[in-house]
Amino acid sequence: MNKKKALAKRGLVSVIGISLSSTMLLAGCGGSQASSSGSNGGSSSGGKDITLTLYEGKYTSNPQAQEDLFNNTLIPEFEKENPGFHIKFTIWGTASEENSTIQTSLATKQGPDIFELGTTFIPTAFSTNGFHVLSQQDWDAIGGQKKFFPGQLTMSGPSPDKYIGVPEYMQPFAMVYNKKLFAAAGITTPPTSWTEFVDDAKKMTNSSKDQWGTVFDPSDSFDPWKIGWGFTKQMGGDFLSKDLKSATLDSQESVNGLQFWFDWLTKYHIVSPNDLTYKSVDADKAFLNGHIGMLIMRSSTMMPALNKSAVKDDYAFAPMPTIPNGMKSMPTVGVPTQTIVSGQDFAIPNYVTGDRYQAALKFLKFLTDVKQQQEFFQTYGYLPVNLDTYQNDPSLNTDVIKAFVDAEKNATAIPFSGAWGNLEVVYGGVASKVANEIATNSYKDGDIATLLKAANTQVQSSLQQ
Amino acid sequence: MQETQVEQISSATPNSHLKMGLLRISKRNRPPYWMMFPALLLLIIIVVAPFFVGFYTSFTKLDQYTIANWTHAPFVGWKNYINAFTQGNALGASALQSVVVSIEFSVLTTIGITPIGIIAALLVNKPFRGQRWVRAMFLIPYVMPVFVNAITWRLLFMNGWGLIDRVLSALHLASKNTFWLIGPHSFWAMVIADIWSSWPFVYLMVLAGLQGISDDLYESANMDGASPFRSFFSITLPCLRPVLGLALLLSTLNHFNNFTLPFIMFGTPPAPQADVLPLNVYVTSFQTFNFGLGSAMSLITLVLMMIPAFFYIRKLRLGEES
Repeated sequence: MNKKKALAKRGLVSVIGISLSSTMLLAGCGGSQASSSGSNGGSSSGGKDITLTLYEGKYTSNPQAQEDLFNNTLIPEFEKENPGFHIKFTIWGTASEENSTIQTSLATKQGPDIFELGTTFIPTAFSTNGFHVLSQQDWDAIGGQKKFFPGQLTMSGPSPDKYIGVPEYMQPFAMVYNKKLFAAAGITTPPTSWTEFVDDAKKMTNSSKDQWGTVFDPSDSFDPWKIGWGFTKQMGGDFLSKDLKSATLDSQESVNGLQFWFDWLTKYHIVSPNDLTYKSVDADKAFLNGHIGMLIMRSSTMMPALNKSAVKDDYAFAPMPTIPNGMKSMPTVGVPTQTIVSGQDFAIPNYVTGDRYQAALKFLKFLTDVKQQQEFFQTYGYLPVNLDTYQNDPSLNTDVIKAFVDAEKNATAIPFSGAWGNLEVVYGGVASKVANEIATNSYKDGDIATLLKAANTQVQSSLQQ
Repeated sequence: MQETQVEQISSATPNSHLKMGLLRISKRNRPPYWMMFPALLLLIIIVVAPFFVGFYTSFTKLDQYTIANWTHAPFVGWKNYINAFTQGNALGASALQSVVVSIEFSVLTTIGITPIGIIAALLVNKPFRGQRWVRAMFLIPYVMPVFVNAITWRLLFMNGWGLIDRVLSALHLASKNTFWLIGPHSFWAMVIADIWSSWPFVYLMVLAGLQGISDDLYESANMDGASPFRSFFSITLPCLRPVLGLALLLSTLNHFNNFTLPFIMFGTPPAPQADVLPLNVYVTSFQTFNFGLGSAMSLITLVLMMIPAFFYIRKLRLGEES
């Protein structure tokens, strides 16, 4: 019997041994894509050819323009200026794809050399300890921190000495509204409080014509938390405690915030019941078709689509209201949050070292310099993060752009917690469940509080103590 | 002494020659096992190694804080397995709820596609004008990429303006504002979309099975006065049993593991009623960074999948013995 056990144990050990050896073999075969090879005298890469892989998010409105910009303009320019450096441009299509690549790259210590990361993902990325914390020397190589919008840097790391993210572009949010529907309803100025917002939306709603004061998208993965967090902050609450050790999703402010959003349908009837299944793209489409009076939490990246839509001559942007519903002024504890600090950053994973790391810093300097930032803006409508870009460029000094730049100055940073990515997804789950209940007539008072309480427990378990 | 040795040698010589000869033959005839090495190596790399990594991960607290150094993630014993069965999920369905959703989904879709597949195969089994075209057309749903299929059904099921709601409303069967992509109907939307895209699998298998049934059997039955109905139940179905058994098993396993269709149709987070286990595992692992719990849920899926596979293999072996 013992002999049998010993044999079985030996067998198991052998299998695990073979498996692990194979995994290592596999890792070895995959190797690092680091291709620092050959000699190329006189190159700025120190005599070596260095190929860097940049992993960018897909510009869904016009992917071809993005590819053209990188492959025909930016990369050739950089490679010409820096002989011996080569850039490979790869893209991710969805946040899920981006997440999976980051996770596998960090676990296997191989993958892209430069990641484009959303500012709200930076806290999670920081918590992995898988990305380079930039030293003063590194910032000097990029062009110094002073080159960037200060607000944008607040999401680069927990403190200035621990930044991992290099701002790429910013995406402050505002409200886009339909001037034609405003005029028809006799509304002269955009609302500054949520009470006014609801009143204006009621004036524009005409369900028989499928015309609605506003639109919401509770089935989206990310819009719910952005909107819910904004309402919560304006009322003086937050989703996490100041020391980042406790989840406060079940606070009264948080419950009231989400409740107010769903009240748009259940109490004020200013959105279509069909919106319950909407994702961000569906809400955009409804506005672009001219059926919606106001659409909140949208950035300048929507402008190319707006300019080709049925409302191309009738849209305008305005800051989102900041005074909570039912109040005449901000509560003393409230924060006048117009937008979150939003946009995209670059980050370099720890497995990129030596000459490759220096090459990556050089490329980041290139991408954040004035000329390239202008090219980003002209191609995508992304707002530059380089302060100097706004000097002497008329296209960046229009009223619309100024409104977004002002919004950026009043942007509020989210709590810098590694569990924020998890929190976003869980909050989206709560919004989806509430929408589910309303759609099936099983929604009752108190459900939002109950669901947020369950979400709070789940988020609490993912906080680093 | 020497004589005895000589006798032993002389008597041993013919035998040992024979043995040597047999040895040479048997060596020559022995299957070249070493040729399996590349396949085995690939199997170890692609299946065995990830399995053991997943198995190990399921006992750890692997999350965003430990992913960069995953081999040092804290060991938590059976906690992830216990959580999978006991923990609720604020995000979607709990693991246990998802197991139920997946079982119901796989069983119902398999039940749905079986008669459709059999009828379609019987329709095109006999030669007729345009038979090839019809056979090819029947394969369209199966060859259509799942992504396209899911997007199409998402648009069809949109409430208010989707075609399904419009048709049902015109026929006075349901309200124009019936929700199909959230709520309990989302499960049925998923089942309908999956039946539409996967019935040709059973059709293909049955059609192949039908080709193997000898016409003599039908002729004899016909001569004995058996009706087509009787021939179907007494000849066709019994002859198709092995093929159909395999088709149903593979179909159940495929549907249980269907990730793409609900992922594209509903996105994340899906309605709890449509939160199938593979989708739940994905969201748990890759969106909420709980890789340990995700791995435990994956292994539970594996065990569940082994149950029908075990019965099928057992049945096959019994067949071999008989």
